[in-house]
Amino acid sequence: MSAAEAAGFRTADDVPEDLRDDLASLLLSLADNKRLLGMRYAEWLLGAPTLEAGIACSAMAQDEWGHSRILYAMLKEFGRDPGQLEHEREAGQYLSIELLDEPPAEWSGLVALNFLLDTALSVQIESLKESRFEPLHYKVRKVLEEERFHFEHGRGWLARLAQTPAGLRSLDGALTPAWRSCLQWFGAPDGGLIARLSEEGISDAGPDELRARWLIRVGPIVMEAGLGLAESEDGGAWRSSADFDWSKWDSARRRSGDGALNSETLAAVRGDKNRAMLMD
Amino acid sequence: MGHLSGEYLYEIFARQKREDRLEHIGTISAPNAALARAYAWQTYDEQKWFEMVVAPREAFEAVNRDEEPFTLSPAEAR
Repeated sequence: MSAAEAAGFRTADDVPEDLRDDLASLLLSLADNKRLLGMRYAEWLLGAPTLEAGIACSAMAQDEWGHSRILYAMLKEFGRDPGQLEHEREAGQYLSIELLDEPPAEWSGLVALNFLLDTALSVQIESLKESRFEPLHYKVRKVLEEERFHFEHGRGWLARLAQTPAGLRSLDGALTPAWRSCLQWFGAPDGGLIARLSEEGISDAGPDELRARWLIRVGPIVMEAGLGLAESEDGGAWRSSADFDWSKWDSARRRSGDGALNSETLAAVRGDKNRAMLMD
Repeated sequence: MGHLSGEYLYEIFARQKREDRLEHIGTISAPNAALARAYAWQTYDEQKWFEMVVAPREAFEAVNRDEEPFTLSPAEAR
């Protein structure tokens, strides 16, 4: 990419039209995943194993909702109506990972979302810190500062649960599907949305590089916990043997097939109970 | 404060400005250092801290008293 092509975009209007749709799609995917993840954290506020973990879930829920609010608001510049995005979409229009379609049944499921998915979202967000789309710079820094403690919380609970055979079995059951989904979430190696955004300098990493960054972060910790999900390679890289079928991959929704949020999740995330208060 | 088996007490120290001294601001119960860091930051979030650190209570050595460090007065412990 030449220097002229790599010039920064100060507003959404500066972004070329074809790229603008891809960028809006990325922002919406991050916003939707964060909104739903925040809801999952909030659901454990009263049922967490300790009072401290409940407080942490409350703090993390607030963080995620704050981040999603920022991202939805940014979409206004892209001609999208944040009110419509937040309150008036159908389940299939959410650009969210399948892991958030229904609530996790056990605490280990929430730990899987906390440690694997929240970290995946942070890896993707971190790839935007030098983005050509300049409005992201400051916001990304602020989000990542808060996410540091989400990571600590996830790794701490992973280590705690892994101390007992029953905890380790429960973790294994929760992390195995989440592991696969998160790896796939970074997208098809070539040709998809995430690859295009990286080629255009909106992000600084394509799908395979994002997967590698995520693996470096979560790999050593899941291995230390005694879960056989990742292996280390010479030179500090991490490997995971998952193979993916990309034939039904939806690059905007970042998932395969036509699954979607379940009805309770949809009603809660868009605030159906408060519909009477949505004046405009 | 919930004190399950496999949990340890961590003492929390923090300062708001670089020129301040670290002050003891509280105690948290956690099973390991990662969770102690997360809980301390997320629980003591009323102030904007320049620095926060945690240390396991068992790392503290009593200097002048025979009782365990951080033992409260009977009135405070109530």
